[in-house]
Amino acid sequence: MHFESEPGLEEFRQEVRDFVRDNLPEDMKARQVYSGSMFSNHDDDQAWSKIVEPKGWGTYTWPVELGGCGWSAMKQFAFEDELYKAYAPPLSFNTLHMIGPVLYKFGSPELQERFLPMIRKNEIRWCQGFSEPGSGSDLASLRTRADLVDGKYVVNGQKIWTSGAYDANWCFCLVKTDTTCKPQKGMSFLLIDMTSPGITVRTIPQINNEKHLCEVFFDNVEVPVANLIGEAGLGWTYAKKLLEGERTTSSYIFWNKREMRRVIALANAEALNGNPVAKDPAFRMKLARIQAELTALEWSVLRVLANETFPQGTPAAASVLKVRGSDLQQWVTEAQVDLIGDKALRSYPIDSLGSDAGTLWPEHVVNRTNMSMIARAATIYGGSKQVQRNILAATAFGL
Amino acid sequence: MDFNYSEMQQMLVDSATKLVADTYTLEDVRNQRTIASGLNEKNWAQFAELGWLALPLPEEAGGLGCSFEDAVVLSTMLGRALAVEPYVSTVVIGGHLLAAIADEDARNALLGGIASGEVLVALAHGEPGERYGDGGTRKTMAKASGNGFALTGNKMLVFDGPSATHFVVSATLDDGSLGLFAVPAGTAGMTSENYPLVDGAAGADLMLDGVQVDAGALIASGADAEALLAETNDRATIALMAQAVGSMEACNEVCAAYIKERKQFGQPIGKFQALQHIMAEMFVSTHQARSMLYYALAHLNAAPAEREAAVSSAKLLVGESAQFVSRSGIQLHGGYGVTDEYIVSHHYRRLLSLEKQFGDIDHHARRLALHMFGPAN
Repeated sequence: MHFESEPGLEEFRQEVRDFVRDNLPEDMKARQVYSGSMFSNHDDDQAWSKIVEPKGWGTYTWPVELGGCGWSAMKQFAFEDELYKAYAPPLSFNTLHMIGPVLYKFGSPELQERFLPMIRKNEIRWCQGFSEPGSGSDLASLRTRADLVDGKYVVNGQKIWTSGAYDANWCFCLVKTDTTCKPQKGMSFLLIDMTSPGITVRTIPQINNEKHLCEVFFDNVEVPVANLIGEAGLGWTYAKKLLEGERTTSSYIFWNKREMRRVIALANAEALNGNPVAKDPAFRMKLARIQAELTALEWSVLRVLANETFPQGTPAAASVLKVRGSDLQQWVTEAQVDLIGDKALRSYPIDSLGSDAGTLWPEHVVNRTNMSMIARAATIYGGSKQVQRNILAATAFGL
Repeated sequence: MDFNYSEMQQMLVDSATKLVADTYTLEDVRNQRTIASGLNEKNWAQFAELGWLALPLPEEAGGLGCSFEDAVVLSTMLGRALAVEPYVSTVVIGGHLLAAIADEDARNALLGGIASGEVLVALAHGEPGERYGDGGTRKTMAKASGNGFALTGNKMLVFDGPSATHFVVSATLDDGSLGLFAVPAGTAGMTSENYPLVDGAAGADLMLDGVQVDAGALIASGADAEALLAETNDRATIALMAQAVGSMEACNEVCAAYIKERKQFGQPIGKFQALQHIMAEMFVSTHQARSMLYYALAHLNAAPAEREAAVSSAKLLVGESAQFVSRSGIQLHGGYGVTDEYIVSHHYRRLLSLEKQFGDIDHHARRLALHMFGPAN
């Protein structure tokens, strides 16, 4: 047991900080600072990928031979921590954690050759076709089907909560290719061109004045068989393997840390009885408790990254990250709303910036309420908190 | 970073597991309260024999020179066992404070005594009218007298006082600064009132009326004494948190086993999702608590302000986890949870004690807030 961080990490953090300071455009940063969304806009995402491309950072988690940086888990942690701290747009989640790994792990050589170069550069806008109206937490029950007809898949069905589908180029879609077997055995991953005839996209107006989540309708959409990832019927297996590699992302640790820093800044900037809120005994006690939970979450992440051997197994330790990580997304954003008091009630369009605050209004109020409202989804998506508790009761205690 | 136990630490865990199974049954835990001094001498002798008392003490004083981390790992096992032996008072607090005695022979004699199990230490710091030593300047006075000092004042809630052979007494010196004194129990002028604590341990109040000690009894004074005491408190807090983590982990196991066995409505109550979800949250809280234990441990040698903030955020979170886990544990046991005959109520009482000792949740939340935001209004 020892707690020293690996040598060179502080210098590396400085290198990342310097790069971001010199290369992150001010307007791009402002859109992150004032964002009221869990997603950043796709133009910024792609522009930022271009900016970091010379450093090779856009695929830092990939195997080295495919363009990864070969960093240790702790170095990766430091890297993301610095990017978030500096309000850089997050590097493409699809490239790093979803379609990228699925393709290089399970895709055919043809699909890899065709897509990986573009994915590496984040040139494709992907959407994930997983959830359906009848399949939320119970993903195995999904009904969108892909039938083999004359050497092509014909897709029919509906997806929902599909982030960013409105301007996506491709959909990375979980479909049913066999309805005769156990649900988990009949699922497959298909890559679907979003310009295909038969696809209709509807944006869903959200609680936070945003329209990012979509419904996607598939009406006899033809997809070449070559767009199947790996083998038919192994979609569920691939998805599970993918999640096993994603032990700590669900903690949102970097995001939570950054938003807690915002909490502290708001507590110092906002006034209560003529003093900073931070001086109010009741308020600061509340904030101290959130800070302690956040620190605990960070160290729970580090324990997983350092490959601690857990008596109840790593999946249980990873579930803790999802449960508390999503709790914290809500606690920190609720605290932000409480810190600005009734100034939280002004409704801002989702693309507002600090300059849109209003003549008498501090810039820091912009979009805090929108963010806190959409953070309610944190305990719903990716397996609701209740599903997480079911999993924990089973994995940790055999209940 | 490496959170896995070293070979040495795993050995400690293994030997503790064996001892715990034999020595800390439910009956043993219940019988602990029949020992007025709070010290089970047979167990203490075994601790000495196993080398646990010598563990973090310096080798030149008969110690094993192991790391504080090793003592913390052992403490998690003591927590699991609900062992209320004065390990923290004597080894963690006593071992650290007495190591500051300037005279080598006197120092090594006392530390050697700790290692062999003959010297038991209790910290006499708290006074009436305050909590967690937050009252500022000590009202207990140490007046220069003869070739030493005369101590006069009252010390309250001295943990493990009844079994102590030596007290470390804090007192205000003639120049108004803090002094820490090593005082043998039973020195003339010292009277005490002993009492049981809710968790089976024992506490004492000390009334000092011109207790005469020689100059060598002064361990540290002024800023040195303040710094030494602050560091000692933080070390004690970390060791107590380790015990709380151990107790919580054991409590979770006990609860899971109980709800798998207990049947109502024709099935084990562990089949009910409402109870499963409580257990899932108990697991989350306990896991977070262990993470905070490591966080605090990692900051033990940081600058004092950083160390104190780290220890406070940990004690705050561990305290909240302890309350949640122990309260839920009773709820899961239904009526049996509030009886003395089920171990869960003993975990409850121990965790209550551990939450309060060396600062409760609110005390440490205030201290963390001070670090985050400066003084409050």
